Formats: sequence, C-alpha cells, structure tokens
Amino acid sequence: MIVRIWGARGSLSAPGPATVGYGGNTSCVEVELADGTTLILDAGSGIRELGQRLAERDPGLLHVCLTHLHLDHVEGLGFFGPLWMSGWKLQFWGPPSATTTLRDRISRYLSPPLFPVGLSEAPAEAIFEDVPREPWRVGSALIEAETVEHRGPTVGYRIEDEGQVLVYLPDHEPYLTAALDDEPEWISGWALAARADLLLHDSQYTEDEYAHRIGWGHSSVSHAAAFARVAGVRQLGLFHHDPMRSDRELEGLYDQAADSLRGEQEPPLIAREGMEIIVGRG
Amino acid sequence: MERKQPDLVLIVARSFATKLATPTLITDARGDLVFFNDAAGEVLGRPYLDVGELPVSRWQELFEPRTLDEEPLTPEQTPSGIALLERRPIHGSFVFRGLDGREREITVTAFPLFSHPDEVVGVMSIFWELPAEP
Repeated sequence: MIVRIWGARGSLSAPGPATVGYGGNTSCVEVELADGTTLILDAGSGIRELGQRLAERDPGLLHVCLTHLHLDHVEGLGFFGPLWMSGWKLQFWGPPSATTTLRDRISRYLSPPLFPVGLSEAPAEAIFEDVPREPWRVGSALIEAETVEHRGPTVGYRIEDEGQVLVYLPDHEPYLTAALDDEPEWISGWALAARADLLLHDSQYTEDEYAHRIGWGHSSVSHAAAFARVAGVRQLGLFHHDPMRSDRELEGLYDQAADSLRGEQEPPLIAREGMEIIVGRG
Repeated sequence: MERKQPDLVLIVARSFATKLATPTLITDARGDLVFFNDAAGEVLGRPYLDVGELPVSRWQELFEPRTLDEEPLTPEQTPSGIALLERRPIHGSFVFRGLDGREREITVTAFPLFSHPDEVVGVMSIFWELPAEP
C-alpha cells in the first residue's frame, strides 16, 4: 500500500513562503492498493493537483472516501479533473446523515451561489453512498469506517491491504470523550486505530491553543501522541496542520511528539505535500 | 488487544454524563449498565468506580426496583427498559434499595440513544430523588 500526501493542511489553504516546506493545500491523501486500485481520502484543495495527475491515465473507477463535509475536506471537488471528464466513474463514500443524502449535502457546496456549476452538470458518473456499517471490500483492501468525535457527522477510515493497516483520522478530538491514559474502549476512534502501521491523525494545536479551543473538534500534538500510544500504532503521522503554523513551528511540534513517543514506536512523521510512504516498510 | 468498543453515541453520552451534576445512568443495547456519574452514585448509594459495569439481571437484582405501591418491577417495566424496548422516551417514578441499604423514591426520565434512525445503542436515564414525605 502506497500513501501519497497531496494536502495535509487543516481548516484553510495556507500557501506562502512560511509553509512551502510542508505545503498549504488542505486534506487529500491518495492510497494505491496492492491490486492497483486508487482510493482518495478527502477532497481538500490537494485533490486539484492529484486530479491533474490522474487525468493523464485512461478513465476508470476511483473511490473517494470523505471523512466529513467541512469545506476544507471538499473544497477541491470543483477542481478535480476526473469529475469534469466523461468516462470516469467516481464512487463517493461519506458520513451518514439521518435526514439528507450524501449527494444532496455535497450539492450544497457544488451549486450557486457558492459554486457556479452544479454537481448535476459534471460529465463523470458520480455515485454517492453513506459508508456501510460493516467493513467492506474495495479492490484488495478491507475498509472500515466509524463515526468519531468531531463537530458534525464525521467518520475515520481504517484501510487494511495485504496485512498492512493505514488509519486516517484527520479531524478528531478523542480527548473530549475520555482521558487518554485509561479505559481505551471509551476513547473515540480507539478500535479503529488499534495496532495500525500508520496513523495519520489530527495534530492541529499546541497545548496552549487547545486550552482555548476545547470542543472545536481537533487535537493538540500531545493528544495525538497520547492517542497513538494508547492505540499501539506503529507510526504516527502528524496531519491537519493549523493554517497559521509555519514550517519551522511545525518542526518544533514534531520534536515534542517525537520526545513523547521515544522508545515506544517508530519516530513520528510530519505529513508533507509530495510525501510518499510505503506502509509497513519502516 | 481486541479491537472492539461501544458506538460513538454511547461514548459521547458517557462523556456528557461525567460532566453533568444531574444524576445520570447509561445502559447499552442489551440493557446492561455501562456507567453512572458521580451525582448518580450519591443516589444509588455507591460510586461507579466501586460498582463498575453490570449485566441487566445483576443490577436489577441489586437495586430491587418496585412501583410506588411496592409491586416488583421487571427490567422491561423500568423506565430504561421501556425506553429500550419501545424505543421511546418515558418518565416515571419508582422505589429502589440503594447500595447503602437505604430505600429511595426517584423520578426518572429515560430516552433511547439512536445512532441511526433504526438503531438504538443504549438508553440515558436522568433521575431525581424525591423528598421523603413528612
């Protein structure tokens, strides 16, 4: 399983010289499964460039797994090449709603006055489904989605492919549900993340910032590290970087996470645009 | 390490209950007691940390719930049982014996916790001890 990061910024795109190292595009991760199937995790602004790359291929089936529908996770859809080209088939998966279909919810963004062109005008075949309640198979992978603690309906994904496990929890505030040092079964997302080879996890805030943003749906770096420890993951990937965070500041936070996890697992990584990770190979 | 945990709705309900000063008790989809908060511990006669999770049969046996006329209540007849089985909120009063041995009369509002329109993952019961009659 190959993981490529196309956007790791949270909340708002943040281009500029201070963020050029780790990138300013919002959440989008490409997963290439062992059988060649392409999964896309979230459709933040990073999906624009991924779409350009995919458009070089013959049209085919793509699976787009959306964690939730906050703008930073769907804003790239209007500029995702394959959606606007005939021949492509896009299977969207997203969080369930008791009242509205996934298509209708996404159409709120892809329609005037927020966007000039409606989703119904897209030439690609687009299928929208709420995530199944039980694990399901896509290509060579078994995918599991569970609702997790964040504002509004939000899911995290566990992707198991040929024995390697990637878990994607870009927007997650487990600390709101339980202390992170005991009773793991009462911590949001714990079962989903347990023993993952790579966990891409929300690490938006510093400790000081978190103290003023409790309940906003995100984690501090130390909470991300504590969650990774209690879930027994092999490697933590810091993800969903705050748009105000410079490259230098991010590296300072990395040191904090690395110190906290030293000796317990592989050193964490900072998710960076352009980064390619082969999951399961240290 | 078994990868199994309660539904997020139950997790969040439990987290909510820990922050409430109102006595609150949570049961799961089987009717088993999975949590009560500190305020509930005061009314039930012992803190949750001393009691822990209890199967429905056991906590019914411990608390001996009865109607105000002293008729025994089965698990299905208690407010939390009705909320679970009939998937609706309910309000009612009954008598039980606290874990400290003291008899108490309480009034309870219980409501089912739906994680999906067709799936109940538990019940939240909030309750008040009624003042003893003079």
